[in-house]
Amino acid sequence: MRPAAAEPELEREIDGHLALLADEFARRGLSPEEARAAARRRFGSVAHTKDLHRDSRSFVWLQDLRRDVIVAVRMLRRTPGFAAVAVLTLAIGIGVNTIVFTITDAVLFKGFPLVERNDRLLYLTSGKGCCLSYLDFQDWQRQATSFAGMALVHGIPATVSDGPAGSELFAATEVTANTFRLVGQQPMLGRDFTSADEQPGAPLVILLRHGLWQRRFGSDPRILGKTLLVNGRPGTVVGVMPRGFSFPQNQDLWIPLVPPADARRDTRDNWFALGRLADGAGIEQARTEMAVIGRRLGATYPATNQGRNLIPLVSTFEDFFIGERAGAVYRAMWGAVGFVMLIACANLANLLMARALARSGEISVRMAIGAGRWRVMRQLLVESVLLSAMGGVVGWWLARWGVAAYAAAANGWGVSEQNVGVWFMNVLDYSMDYRAFAYLAAISLGTGLLFGVVPALRLSATDAGGRLRHGGRGLTADRRTRGASWLLVAAEMTLAIVLTAGAGMLLRSFLAMYTADPGFDASKVTSAQVLLPRARYATPELQRAFFDRLTTELQRTSGVETVATASALPGWDLSPRAFEIDGVAAPDTRDRPAAGAVTISSEYFRALGRRMSTGREFLATDHPDQQPVVIVNEQFARRYLPDGAMDRRIRLYADSVPDVWMTVVGVAPDIVQRRDLQQQDAVLYVPARQRPTAGMWLLARGRVETEALADGVRATLAALDPDLPLADGPMVLADRLARNYQYRAVMATSFALFAAIALLLASLGLYAVMAHAVSERRREIGIRTAMGATVVDILGLVLTQGMKPIAAGIVGGIAAAVLLGRLLQAEFAQVTPSDPAMLAAASAILLAVSIAGCLVPARRALTVDPVTALRPSD
Amino acid sequence: MASERVELLQGTLDLIVLRALDTMGPLHAYALASRLEQVADHEFALNQGTLYPALVRLEQKGWIKGSWQRTENNREAKYYALTRSGARALKRQADRWRRLAGLVEKLLLPGSAS
Repeated sequence: MRPAAAEPELEREIDGHLALLADEFARRGLSPEEARAAARRRFGSVAHTKDLHRDSRSFVWLQDLRRDVIVAVRMLRRTPGFAAVAVLTLAIGIGVNTIVFTITDAVLFKGFPLVERNDRLLYLTSGKGCCLSYLDFQDWQRQATSFAGMALVHGIPATVSDGPAGSELFAATEVTANTFRLVGQQPMLGRDFTSADEQPGAPLVILLRHGLWQRRFGSDPRILGKTLLVNGRPGTVVGVMPRGFSFPQNQDLWIPLVPPADARRDTRDNWFALGRLADGAGIEQARTEMAVIGRRLGATYPATNQGRNLIPLVSTFEDFFIGERAGAVYRAMWGAVGFVMLIACANLANLLMARALARSGEISVRMAIGAGRWRVMRQLLVESVLLSAMGGVVGWWLARWGVAAYAAAANGWGVSEQNVGVWFMNVLDYSMDYRAFAYLAAISLGTGLLFGVVPALRLSATDAGGRLRHGGRGLTADRRTRGASWLLVAAEMTLAIVLTAGAGMLLRSFLAMYTADPGFDASKVTSAQVLLPRARYATPELQRAFFDRLTTELQRTSGVETVATASALPGWDLSPRAFEIDGVAAPDTRDRPAAGAVTISSEYFRALGRRMSTGREFLATDHPDQQPVVIVNEQFARRYLPDGAMDRRIRLYADSVPDVWMTVVGVAPDIVQRRDLQQQDAVLYVPARQRPTAGMWLLARGRVETEALADGVRATLAALDPDLPLADGPMVLADRLARNYQYRAVMATSFALFAAIALLLASLGLYAVMAHAVSERRREIGIRTAMGATVVDILGLVLTQGMKPIAAGIVGGIAAAVLLGRLLQAEFAQVTPSDPAMLAAASAILLAVSIAGCLVPARRALTVDPVTALRPSD
Repeated sequence: MASERVELLQGTLDLIVLRALDTMGPLHAYALASRLEQVADHEFALNQGTLYPALVRLEQKGWIKGSWQRTENNREAKYYALTRSGARALKRQADRWRRLAGLVEKLLLPGSAS
């Protein structure tokens, strides 16, 4: 009876009882009141009865549970070896599961730490996925009703100095004044930005990240009001954000985003907007409304808002920062580790069944004298849950260690291929909180019940009478129990094969990237990024002049062979730019061919150790007032200029506005640009002297070791401009490219580890079941040997018994692996879906294990004297 | 005095209740209490309310099952009936009681302590 119903039910019963008693007294001649009073006296204290009733209600249940636990503990202490193995297996399974859950939770679900309701924040850019114009943002902000508020953020490098100590380079984010209110956080010291701070001409104010305040300023409480130079401008520190807060990227300080004075609708800067959904609004509603707003703006401003800039892109945290593909891989990892847990459970179920079989005599007797099936099941379940609870406790410590190790590594390399590099390190919170604990508790309880339920069901359903007839010992399993064992083993094999196949695919994908030929020797080249602050290098002339001087000085540094600059490094995805070839009509003005474009200095290819295939590199004589020139790579030439590339004319388009015609002066070898390092795309190279930019990468090829080279680069730069620190680097280009596949390396290693564990567990389970099956047929083997059977005959006999589940396991595994392959192919396109090598290897291992599982006990059975084997089982 | 009697009865109360239900069929709490008084040969062997903890214990063990029905006087009351496992438990408890009683009886025989 449900506890809640018990009390009123009792009341009803007692009332009835008192009524009956009163009737009796009334019949004896008492008046109604007297009868009722006498009834009450006869009954005794109603309150006391209710108390005793209540105590008995819960007490029985609790008492039984306590007894079950005591018995379970006693059973386990009798076989400490088994208990230790079981607890260890569970600890590893539960621990690893919790680790993966914590990581996946942090990356996919929790979002930014210390931000209120991450799931209600959405990120908006123009339809192209990057950049938007300030005027568009203002219109969005004004017109959108599905958002409670919108803010604009922009990441910039910031050279910060607090006086004569020199300047240091930090990452900063410009934010609109309402940003922190929107994300639901406020400074722990000082004040937030106000709308006064974002007016044009307002004095600069600064908010510091907690880590920066601690590291650089020693957590000095007098930091408020301190003056710092940010990119040359003096600003006042007005507040410090709480510890652990870092939104929306890995910046060290925040400054107000002042609307550009000359904001035009067609200047799209590299910032993005964020919005908090209004109460009751959903993401689909927001998307629809933004599409409507986008179209409305397109109708009002057809010149600037059309094509790919028309419909704003509205993304969730996961889409924007992690990427759909990485999300799929994290989820797959979670699934993989769940598989490992299931395999472990299957093994434990088999183990528990075998163990309980030894006690099946006792169980049958218990059931014969009246213990209900449920009571027996409950006892077995309490045992299994107790084991997994102990496993959970050990697993918790394992998980804490694992998560700490992972967090230390992950915070160093970012989170996914979409977010490689400095901007997203140290942002996510990988700590284990109540969610991880709840997950661990749930998994512990769940696995305990899961692997306990099969033995409990099987053992308590046995025909007690039949068991007892066999002598009450019941060491052999009946057919249905054996069937359950085989089913478990077949399931294990399927899961193990699938996991192995998955790991194999990921490993191959990683290896493909790792061994990919980038097109040059990346180990001899040092790279560093220089970003010229707009304040001091406002014009293209100043920018060009600086980089000219820099390259000249660097060339003179000892150990440097060749120096070049480039707007993007190899292994860096390029946004495709529309272009047109003189003499080749575009099929549709809206649908021009596109290729990536890199701005490079002269000697770029020489710095990478390659020679031009045709023509020449850019020269110092390629002045801005000279004829505009361009270099194409071989891919480009093959695809778009099959009749010869030299002296052809090409021009780029920027948002449907054509640029000047450029003449091809050389065809370069293919240098890989794609982040996955595996495919060569068509690339255009534009001379830096003719179109300088403020941010360039330095490439220095050296004769000496790169350590000395790095120092030389730093020294040269400092000599030229002491207030200009390096934005990134110096780093050997090979190491930098390695960052590209670090994420894949981690994923591949994790999956490989899980697959190995799965194979091991499945093999152990398979071996145990096969060995058990053989030893059960000892008598039969003895008889057959006496009649002349050989080892091979016996092997064949036992293997045919296990053939069905083994075959089922292998076939099921291969089928599931092919399916998985199709799913994973979307993520790692270069990998063939069904990697036959891996599948064959996994199947072979399991087959070998099953044969071994027969051989060993079969040989032992064969060495037994047939007479002994033929004796009645004792 | 009364508490002594109650304690003693609690151990054998289960047995008596089961036996009563076995011989007389389903009974409600009042009828059970009356029957107990008859058996105990006392006018008030125990307060009728103390039956309830025993009833809930037996019901939780699955030895008796309660269901609401109407008495002859058309009053509603909860009738308790013996279950199959209760019948088995009755036999077990009865055997155990008899063995125990027999043992005690033997010990109480003059000269058995020597």
